[in-house]
Amino acid sequence: MNAVAAPHTPTRTSHLAWLLLAVPCAGLLVFFLYPLLSVAWRSVTDAGGAFTLANYARLLDDPGLPRAALHSVETGLVTTLATVAFGLGIAMALHRSRLPGKALIRATLLLPMLAPSLVLGLGLVLLLGRNGLVHRLTGLPTDIYGFPGLVIANTLYGLPQVVLIVSAALARTPARHYDAAASMGATPWRQFIDITLPRLRFALLAAAFLVFTETLTDFGSAVIVGGNYRVLAMEIYSEVVGQLDFAMGATLGMVLLLPALLSVWLGRLAKRRQDSGDGAPGRALMPAQHAGRDGFLAIVSLIALLPIVAVVATVAYVSFVKLWPYQQSLTLANYTGMSEGFGPVWTSLAMSFIAAVAGCVLVFALCAGLRKAPPALARPLQFIASLPAAVPGMVVGLGYVMAFNHGPLSGWLHGSLIIIAACSLYHYHAQAFLTMQTGMRQVPDALEDAVAAFGGGTREVLRDAVLPFTAPAAISTFFYLFMRSMVTLSGVIFLVTADVGLASVSVMRLDENGFLAQAAAYAMCVVVAGALALGAMRLLLHTLKERRHVA
Amino acid sequence: MHLRLEEISKAWGGHTVLDRVSFSAGASDFVCLLGPSGCGKTTLLRIVAGLTEPDAGRVELAGKDITHVPARERGMGIVFQSYSLFPDLTAAANVGYPMRLRGIPASTIATRSTELLAKVGLGGFGGRFPDELSGGQQQRVALARALAAEPALLLLDEPLSALDPAIRAQLRGEIRSLQRSLGIPTIMVTHDQDEALALADTIVCMKAGRIEQIGSPRDLYERPSSRFVADFIGHANLLPTAFVREVMPGFLERRPPGADATWELCLRPEDIVLEADPRGDAVVSDVTYLGNLARAGLAWRGQRLVAELHGRNTLTPGEAVAVDAIRGAWVCT
Repeated sequence: MNAVAAPHTPTRTSHLAWLLLAVPCAGLLVFFLYPLLSVAWRSVTDAGGAFTLANYARLLDDPGLPRAALHSVETGLVTTLATVAFGLGIAMALHRSRLPGKALIRATLLLPMLAPSLVLGLGLVLLLGRNGLVHRLTGLPTDIYGFPGLVIANTLYGLPQVVLIVSAALARTPARHYDAAASMGATPWRQFIDITLPRLRFALLAAAFLVFTETLTDFGSAVIVGGNYRVLAMEIYSEVVGQLDFAMGATLGMVLLLPALLSVWLGRLAKRRQDSGDGAPGRALMPAQHAGRDGFLAIVSLIALLPIVAVVATVAYVSFVKLWPYQQSLTLANYTGMSEGFGPVWTSLAMSFIAAVAGCVLVFALCAGLRKAPPALARPLQFIASLPAAVPGMVVGLGYVMAFNHGPLSGWLHGSLIIIAACSLYHYHAQAFLTMQTGMRQVPDALEDAVAAFGGGTREVLRDAVLPFTAPAAISTFFYLFMRSMVTLSGVIFLVTADVGLASVSVMRLDENGFLAQAAAYAMCVVVAGALALGAMRLLLHTLKERRHVA
Repeated sequence: MHLRLEEISKAWGGHTVLDRVSFSAGASDFVCLLGPSGCGKTTLLRIVAGLTEPDAGRVELAGKDITHVPARERGMGIVFQSYSLFPDLTAAANVGYPMRLRGIPASTIATRSTELLAKVGLGGFGGRFPDELSGGQQQRVALARALAAEPALLLLDEPLSALDPAIRAQLRGEIRSLQRSLGIPTIMVTHDQDEALALADTIVCMKAGRIEQIGSPRDLYERPSSRFVADFIGHANLLPTAFVREVMPGFLERRPPGADATWELCLRPEDIVLEADPRGDAVVSDVTYLGNLARAGLAWRGQRLVAELHGRNTLTPGEAVAVDAIRGAWVCT
């Protein structure tokens, strides 16, 4: 019996395996760590570059800053409380009730993923602002600006994520626990207290930390509905854009980074302790008939979900209004006669596409490379790849300004679409990395070994064993990055130039200048692009599942 | 094709998995690596396959040192426990895969795949996808695929462990006859002693990274060299030297030299002869009826024994019996 030599030489294989790690690592180093360290460095140096803590001392001198910090924290706490409470209610309605229309609840929860906090904020202003729709229709003196507006916008934005986390935990609780409790005579209320809630503890904690971090670092709704109620994200924006005080912006960025880091870290701890559930889930849970419970959950869901629909519908309506709020006649002029044309929308699409393609490739390479990397190398890399989750978009954006506007790389990067795409990509790197890693875990080791044993090199292992199993994760990663990049504002706000405008930035600028109907039209373009992308993703995943025999 | 392993050692993070393991396998041998989980048998197989590199030692195939040759250049066929088929390829395409990697023309691949699938009893199943095949059928496809590239050596990593008992026994027989008819040297990893006894020409029994005993199935069952092997393969009644001296001194003659504590007498359940005797010094403590045979637990002068009784018998718990043994083997403790 003769063994035929395999077609590739071992040197080429190890070359490829090495490249898999080296390229994404270089990306993380240059486009994430370097900007992040630039911000940190700037916050502790003076104009001459010498070490100083004076910037931090200045924080306390300005009475506005401690107040802004207080505002950020109080908005974060109230939003977290509201979001977790309503999110729990909706998750219960989805998994522990006999309510009809669960598909409708799920569909409504997709809206905040398509409409970023910026659009939700805009909708709130159009609906409940001083000249809002409600005021127009009823004459009531409505004023949503400030604390209530921020809490509502952020709550609506955070809801789907809380529902997702809590639902996952609810789905892991096997039906037999409820059967056992019921057979021992426990009432539905006792079952909720004794079985459901304890198993949700860590999920609720993880969800709470997530919402708190997002609210703390949110810029989109702060700039639209914040008004005179100033939060930290707004202060950074004013320092940098208004007063061109980069040192102060960097220092504030560090102040924002610390609680975000802490919150993400605590959230991780909570998630790690989450109940992984039983190996065999057993029969599906069918909630018992209980009109009181279902009625209560229906009311909770309606209170939380109706505003989402109302807010997005208002934006859609206003986008067709001739001159909001003065001329209410309907027109297409806001779309056809946009001040900057569809340019910013196309730019947003192009930028998002670049970010999604590059992100997909880089994250795939990183995860594939990590599979065979020694733990001493893999652990720190995993940490760095997940770190962006804890870094506010404004800090990433500020880092880009400091690293690439003046540094050695500024010549070919400054003001380019590439740099904006990189900023979006690395801002959302953590979630993309997590999705891809989960996908990679589906690849059976035996299959990979089989390819190697039959004469395949790294290239064949990736093509024949890894790719078929990670294709769904890759598709999800692509569309996640695409949709996030379409709506992102906080990261890219410092990077846009007169030549390179983005749709989300146009919404903000038009809103600032009072062109609300046109702002709404741009917002709707973003929402529709997101919806189309989401539809495309679902279709692709479905066909993939049909065509390929991979679970 | 002769395989020789010399002083193979491997440690993972300070924990020794293989400690200077050596053995060799002849041209058409079926070798089973047998041992409890964690004994290093799978690591040893992976070292033979080239999927894991040993820290020290030498792997030789047909006189050639292949220790540092990567898996893909070794030309071996391998079957894993499960989940090793390409889910998006048909059974035929799965079987054709190793040939495709070697640049064999498509027409040859098609013919060979059909032949191989027929050989493992799956003629006509070539167009099915793995998720349209049962577990047993999937393992047949994996087996055909492992044979596709005319491997120098066939490696089986617990290929039957994930299957139902009935299918396991059936496939076991087919693997054996296929291996015999092709004359292909085979190494199989298993923790199932029945599988090893039924399939192997040679069993390599391993414990904690070292080889305990190498021999034919008969050697290992009838002449286990250590208490571990005696216990791991079949049931063993292990009696201390002092006890044997008291009750069955005849066995002492054949005891190798050494301190009392270093040797024990191994009596297989079928080696024990029982006779109902009211004056007997053993008492039946329990009887498990198994149809063609019965297994009796005995208390014999403070020692617990298990005996197997073939044919019909009427022993009942509490009955006094006389005990004798027709053969036994001395094993190191």
